[in-house]
Amino acid sequence: MATVTVQTLQPATIAWPAIERYSLRHDEPAWLRELRRAWWERSEKTPFPTGLEEEWRRTSLQELPRDGELLDEAEFRPVLPDPRLADRGVIFSDLGTAAREHPDLVRRYLGQGEPVDSHAAFWALSQAAWTGGTFLYVPRGLEVDGTLIARITQPRSDVTFLPHTLVVAEEGSCVTFLEELVSPDGAPGWFGGTVAIHALQGSRVRYANLQRLGDAVWNVGAQRVQVGQDANVTALNTEVGSRVSKLGLDVRMDGKGGTSLLLGLLAAGDDQHIDINSLQDLSADHTTSDLLYVSALYDRARAAFYGVTRVQETARGTSSYQECRNLLLSPNAGAEPIPVLEIKTNDLLRCGHGATAGAIDPVQLFYAQTRGLDPEEAERMIVRGFFEQVIARIPVEPVRSAMLAALADRIGHVEGFDETGAAA
Amino acid sequence: MALPNPALSQLPDNYKYGWHDAEAKSLNIAKKGLSAEVVAEISRFKGEPEWMTKLRLKAYRHFEARPMPTWGANLAPIDFQDIYYYIAPTDKAVQSWDDVPDYIRRTYDKLGIPEAEKKYLAGVGGQYDSEVVYHNIRADLEKLGVIFMGTDQALKDHPEMFREYYGTVIPPNDNKLAALNTAVWSGGSFIYVPPGVHVELPLQAYFRINTENMGQFERTLIIADEGSSVHYVEGCTAPTYSTASLHSAVVEIIVKKGARVRYTTIQNWSHNVYNLVTKRAVAYEDAVMEWVDGNLGSRVTMKYPSIYLLGERAHGEVLSIAFAGSGQHQDAGGKVIHAAPNTTSLITSKSISQGTGRTSYRGLIKVYPGCKKARSTVRCDALILSDEARSDTYPYMEIDEEDVTIGHEATVSKVGSEQLFYLMSRGMTESEAAAMIVNGFIEPIVKELPMEYAVEMNRLIQLQMEGAVG
Repeated sequence: MATVTVQTLQPATIAWPAIERYSLRHDEPAWLRELRRAWWERSEKTPFPTGLEEEWRRTSLQELPRDGELLDEAEFRPVLPDPRLADRGVIFSDLGTAAREHPDLVRRYLGQGEPVDSHAAFWALSQAAWTGGTFLYVPRGLEVDGTLIARITQPRSDVTFLPHTLVVAEEGSCVTFLEELVSPDGAPGWFGGTVAIHALQGSRVRYANLQRLGDAVWNVGAQRVQVGQDANVTALNTEVGSRVSKLGLDVRMDGKGGTSLLLGLLAAGDDQHIDINSLQDLSADHTTSDLLYVSALYDRARAAFYGVTRVQETARGTSSYQECRNLLLSPNAGAEPIPVLEIKTNDLLRCGHGATAGAIDPVQLFYAQTRGLDPEEAERMIVRGFFEQVIARIPVEPVRSAMLAALADRIGHVEGFDETGAAA
Repeated sequence: MALPNPALSQLPDNYKYGWHDAEAKSLNIAKKGLSAEVVAEISRFKGEPEWMTKLRLKAYRHFEARPMPTWGANLAPIDFQDIYYYIAPTDKAVQSWDDVPDYIRRTYDKLGIPEAEKKYLAGVGGQYDSEVVYHNIRADLEKLGVIFMGTDQALKDHPEMFREYYGTVIPPNDNKLAALNTAVWSGGSFIYVPPGVHVELPLQAYFRINTENMGQFERTLIIADEGSSVHYVEGCTAPTYSTASLHSAVVEIIVKKGARVRYTTIQNWSHNVYNLVTKRAVAYEDAVMEWVDGNLGSRVTMKYPSIYLLGERAHGEVLSIAFAGSGQHQDAGGKVIHAAPNTTSLITSKSISQGTGRTSYRGLIKVYPGCKKARSTVRCDALILSDEARSDTYPYMEIDEEDVTIGHEATVSKVGSEQLFYLMSRGMTESEAAAMIVNGFIEPIVKELPMEYAVEMNRLIQLQMEGAVG
């Protein structure tokens, strides 16, 4: 029954007193505690999904491990390509530190903007109860060479960890940011990371999220990307770890001439379950938003994708595409790709979507074998090539090799290709 | 509980209503609204066997228990208690030609439809001149052993066969509106094609010469026995006037081993109608099932012809055209369920929205585990003709088998100003040019229609396009 679902979903261990204790223990400023409190109240008013919502029909949250204590501290390891960036105004630290050291700046963006539609309850909860995450600020006009890397490592998995990452790229700035989330295998826990990216006018942001959580972890997270006028954002999610991943992605194209590209690399095996809900909302003129998610599914893995491209009445001359490709590598794997279009105007330059699901083309497999590869090598090579269509869209070295190294854990190494080991 | 109309209970069980029997009119259920009593009366009035009465009542209970669908089109304006659930055929014939809306009459004139046919289409004329044609067709079919008759008649004449297949493809509890249809159905076609028989001419409900075939809750059952083939055509391209605001048909089709069925519908109800239809076919080994589904009329249509591919190498196709003008919402599509190896399917959808109209493609491809070598392609194209129109695409896919090839593609576009400019530079007016582009857009489906339908469809698009662009 739906009503039962709602009740049992309420987190058992997160309550205002626990959040308040955390805030006091970490000497947070009063405004931040008030902000947490406001979001906590909002989260209490926001119903959790019942399973009847379109976005929640393919993932049941009944078994979400919600009894773990709120994680007090995760290891945060930042890597800057150039130590002098701080002198030029780049702020790159964990969110708690940033809130204490740069209160005015953090306050201007933290907790602003509406929750990700499909994950509103989880968004509100994370805004109230975050205990980690990254803050990245790039000042106006600064073009950062190289890639900023943050690795967030949980000491243990049997906890509730709802980190929040906030990226602010000021006007005309440019940055590439790789964020890696790691937790140990074996113990079930709840990871609920949220990410908010504010790409201001004319900025260029590349964000790559590498999810390598423990194999029993439930990852119920959300990302919100605000693309300003003439800004350009590429957001890549590589999903390798976790038992269940249920991600909500909202991209708001409300600045004229903005561009976004959403990329996904999903490699899943065993009993892994991945369910992605994307929303590309085009409300400003001449905006462009493309999405390409590819998944390779082994064993009994299952990937669901319910993505919506919404072109509003107000948007003229937009261009959008949504593509979801699934490679089924086991008789027990499954895919549910559902790319939805909701188009409310006829002033379109380009609009479409595509979805595929199927096994490796036997002709390709045969061809690779005639070139001397054994069947397993041939399969690895083809899967690797399948991922290349996404990887090639982020031609940045540390990002590329980090993604390939993580994917290799699932798909195996391919001789003669370019894995160079994990980042940092 | 007392019957609302005491006269009904006095009807003899073998009563057969006639067209022009003035007395029969007074025996109709003249009361709006639905209750178990109304359902029981309909069954009694028709002189049905007990099992059908029970099934209707069971379906009615299911209809009552089930909530309205919350997805798809807005169905909130439907008031189930403000609807007549049974109107005898005689009643329809007495409506006045003057009651038919102007826009429909004008369209008839522009399409050049003969006077007698106009009245038939508008539901104001009972008889139509093609009776002779109809009788000849029927004589030929009888020689082949083909059964083609009204569904009510089939229940009387072929009770065993009827009971064997009825409700097997769409059970009474399938969905709220199918349950409603099962409770109050009336009219529709019953077709049985014996093994190995190929019916060369399309069978058209149009020729069946009774107003029932345009019924509000019609029920159609088609059985194509092994190795047979038949093409059934329902509806017509010209607008069809209906006073009833809710139409909820159920169509069940059984395509046996090696058989082939094509079911063509062109729906052009007047713009007051909510058209909520359940259509489903099962296709066994080597069978081919094709739905050709056109939706031009109605205020709201929700219709997703489905095919269950149950036998190896079965093939299913859905070709769907939707045209939504101002105030209309066409929520249409198709579903194919692959439940056997080596099954193949193709869904092609072309939708056009104009004015404030909205088209939605909603479809499902499902592949069960073990259905190796299943192949499916879904192609949806939408054309939006005005900046207030809207188009949605909801293509559901559930793939639980590795060894398959499944693809879906969709585009949404407008009529390009360069295209218009080019055609106008060749001497066309803007609306002619737009109509030509739209006709080209839907051509892949129109070419599958019987000739007279294709011609009429193209003319209709031309009429719709007058003043649509610019």
